[in-house]
Amino acid sequence: MARTIETVRPSETPEFRPGSAPTGNPVARLVAESTTIFGRNLKKLVRIPMMLFFSLFQPMLWLLLFTQIFKKLGQFPQFQTLGYSSYLMFFAPSVLTMTTLTSAFQSGMGMVTDFEQGMLDKFLISPIHRSSVLIGKVMADASRMVLQGALILVVAIIMGARIKTGVVGAVVMLVLAAAFGIVWAGLSNIVALSTKNSEMTMMIGILLTFPLLFLSTAMMPAALLPGWLETVGKFNPVTYVINTARQFMNFGYAWMDLAKAFGIIAIVGLFTLTGATRAFRKATT
Amino acid sequence: MTDLINVDQLIKVYPDGTRAVDGVTFQVARGEVFGFLGPNGAGKTTAIRVLVTLLRKTSGRALVGGHDVDREGEEIRKMIGYAGQFIGIDIDLTGRENLVLQARLHGMSTADAGRRADLLLELFGLTDAANKRAGAYSGGMRRRLDLVQALVHEPPLLFLDEPTTGLDPQTRNALWKHLEELRAGGTTIFLTTQYMEEADRLCDRLAIIDHGKIVVSGEPAELKASVGGDVVTIALPEGTDGELMERAQRAVAAFPGAGQPTTFDHSVAIPVKDAGQSLSEIVRRLDEQGIPIAKLSFTTPTLDEVFLKYTGERMRVEETGHAQSSMFASMRGRGRGRG
Repeated sequence: MARTIETVRPSETPEFRPGSAPTGNPVARLVAESTTIFGRNLKKLVRIPMMLFFSLFQPMLWLLLFTQIFKKLGQFPQFQTLGYSSYLMFFAPSVLTMTTLTSAFQSGMGMVTDFEQGMLDKFLISPIHRSSVLIGKVMADASRMVLQGALILVVAIIMGARIKTGVVGAVVMLVLAAAFGIVWAGLSNIVALSTKNSEMTMMIGILLTFPLLFLSTAMMPAALLPGWLETVGKFNPVTYVINTARQFMNFGYAWMDLAKAFGIIAIVGLFTLTGATRAFRKATT
Repeated sequence: MTDLINVDQLIKVYPDGTRAVDGVTFQVARGEVFGFLGPNGAGKTTAIRVLVTLLRKTSGRALVGGHDVDREGEEIRKMIGYAGQFIGIDIDLTGRENLVLQARLHGMSTADAGRRADLLLELFGLTDAANKRAGAYSGGMRRRLDLVQALVHEPPLLFLDEPTTGLDPQTRNALWKHLEELRAGGTTIFLTTQYMEEADRLCDRLAIIDHGKIVVSGEPAELKASVGGDVVTIALPEGTDGELMERAQRAVAAFPGAGQPTTFDHSVAIPVKDAGQSLSEIVRRLDEQGIPIAKLSFTTPTLDEVFLKYTGERMRVEETGHAQSSMFASMRGRGRGRG
């Protein structure tokens, strides 16, 4: 082990000047730092193939199970008047959103792991802007969500679904679902950073996410929901995300709906992402 | 102004009321190796975490490279490397990827980062495991990888919190050698340790810290001199009777440069100013009396005694159990002295 010590000089990289390392445009720096963190998180994602497999397998299972359970609903006259050609066509946008939300409420667990494994300390003593830790994480989360979502769409198409608005619609649906996923992941990270406990993060994540899904139009069209649920659904951001995706999938371009959905995502994000940034700052000082 | 670290009346009180660091003042000059020596819970880790900007101080002043730890953290982070007491590695990445990541975060180019990583992996015996997942590393390997992470970007100022705790002797020696090389290259090093031997070997200056306060500070030699000179120990053959022991004690008693000898077991210990000059005199005196010598040894005082003198208690180091007799324990502790 010690055999080569005598022959090695401490400094063999003269072009690197410690102490003056990160210079230049702050924005360019932030991008470079975030990309470094992003790359690291992405590597982690693919490093354990089993985990990647299950994170992709689970949403497919949702898609298969739910479309089977509610298959006959598609034949009900009341449902048919809504214009959906099948329950699959109705449900595929929902499962897309469910998938990104499932990824979202697990996002904080990675933060807890980084905390427990001392990685956060390592990030914090390096001269990077602290938000790049969060931005890099969000970027990796988003990639995972888009990957999962794309797979869902492919499987849905194999099962017979068609996207009315084609590739544009597919991209819109993916971006929309991922955007909401990121905003929701902010919440998970707030919980993670304030509890520093993965079980708690998971539990609170489930507690916040599942009612949100069930209190929306994810499973049932608004017309078939009990009155009070329909009202609650109107205040649920998930409803707007899913309904917009449904428009693009079933009926055609709905740019106004899309703008509204993004507006709602932006408002939720304002709270969750600034909250996560604050929780991060608090947890690290 | 040449002080790279300047700390004045630093206090850190945790929310639960623990005064972990309680009014500490010290300076570290550029190019110096400075050590905090103290037992567990003395406040070493808290102090170091304040200096590397991971923890906010309660009061006092702390400048690193002339930058305030509270307001100019980023300037400080540009110039430091830090290996904490707890390992911080990503178990999903390989050892090499971990190193490259750290180097990149500190602003190194990918090419430089790779070159430095390979060099250090070789230096610390991790080349064979370089491309294995760090999660598959043994405890010792993780420790080494964590240390190397602090060195990879060649920081001009290194903070090492108990760097050799839990290291195998081979790696410890490799690290010591590397740190000595870094010092020769002008790197300033601040380290904490529980081990007297380590502080003695590496530090230009050190501060003994206990219960959040600096008890005494200075050069190791200076501190050791302050607790007195050397001790020469004569062991007589086993089974030597009490009468012969007394004769031996009388024979070496009170000559210039020597103090009052004491006996324990079948040995006589003589405190002297300089062992090298007194040895021949002691041997001559015992010879004259025809007293047989089974073994002769001498030791210089260690930081153990310094700690004992200034804190009134022995160092609380978990791994080593001290013998009951403090006299004998210190004798054994000094076994590796100059002789």
